[in-house]
Amino acid sequence: MNVCAADLHVHTALSPCADNGMTPPAIVQWALAEGLGMIAVCDHNSARNAAAVQDAAGTRLAVLAGMEITTVEECHVVALFPDAEAAQAASAEVGATLGQVDDGYKEFFGEQHVLAADGSERARETLALATATTLDVEAVVRLVHGHGGLAIAAHIDRRSFGVIGQLGLFPADAGFDAVELSRHVAPGSPDAAEFAVHSLPLVHSSDAHYLTDIGAVHTVVHCERPTFAELALALAGAHGRSVGDA
Amino acid sequence: MKLEDIARELGLTELTPEVTGNRQAEIERGYASDLLSDVLAHAPEGSVLVTLQVHLNVIAVASHAELAAVIFAGDRRPDDDMRAKAIAEGISLLVSPADTFDIVGRLYAMGVKGNHA
Repeated sequence: MNVCAADLHVHTALSPCADNGMTPPAIVQWALAEGLGMIAVCDHNSARNAAAVQDAAGTRLAVLAGMEITTVEECHVVALFPDAEAAQAASAEVGATLGQVDDGYKEFFGEQHVLAADGSERARETLALATATTLDVEAVVRLVHGHGGLAIAAHIDRRSFGVIGQLGLFPADAGFDAVELSRHVAPGSPDAAEFAVHSLPLVHSSDAHYLTDIGAVHTVVHCERPTFAELALALAGAHGRSVGDA
Repeated sequence: MKLEDIARELGLTELTPEVTGNRQAEIERGYASDLLSDVLAHAPEGSVLVTLQVHLNVIAVASHAELAAVIFAGDRRPDDDMRAKAIAEGISLLVSPADTFDIVGRLYAMGVKGNHA
């Protein structure tokens, strides 16, 4: 079994809160320099830049297509998909629940850059990605699973936008595949162990909004190859695959 | 102030008529929040919660914090699952078309106070 260092939560310049330097080629370069074997592109409520990062990476780095979906309760859910097409289909469903940006939105949140693999701008996203969808936690998990994806409760240690912060208790019946800890919790620390009580695998992700955040923490995936299918097995603890802290 | 008097004065719709034991409960304290971790940490025992949040966890948190009742603002309505859980836990659910600010203002004027009054 091989060991793969994975940062499963990286934003691009499509997210209005992310730095404009988060372009496909720059993200790939930083991820490789950090020694990562796998990243997941998870912009707020959209998968529109995922394929561009995959193209920029080619065969050098495994790039999963994902999204960070905001539920109606303002919980963040990291969604990872088998391929860019599935992510795009899920993204369209999520986008249908969002409003349009206006001048005030752009001034407050920033621009939303749709980028090509070489980092050049193709378009500006007009859906208000920084706002909440109309879907509750359970509906988001169902939507993600419906497209063959994995649903991970994002940064559950954080007071804002984590499911525990918003909902008081972890929604054990929602059907999450894993829980994510932010870089503010040291891997292997007693604080990290506290979140292991939900009997779900823990992943550790950077939630990078700046290039220098990429790989700040990562998840060790024990698998044959750095693919979505292998990650799914690792999260399930099946066929000798597993995930662990760095 | 009794819960049934509050319901009448504020024109609240009772969603859990099955929960009869709480109608005579004296409500002295209230809390308003949509963040359930905050409710869990700060809502006074026996109080009424005013919230927009209609996730099922409202009941788990209300039960933990030993709240008497939950008023949903802005005409937000919980689903049947949540109603069934509330009945099982003996928590009254009520709904108002008014927003949180107006509901809390009227409760306060009726003598229902927060943690620090």
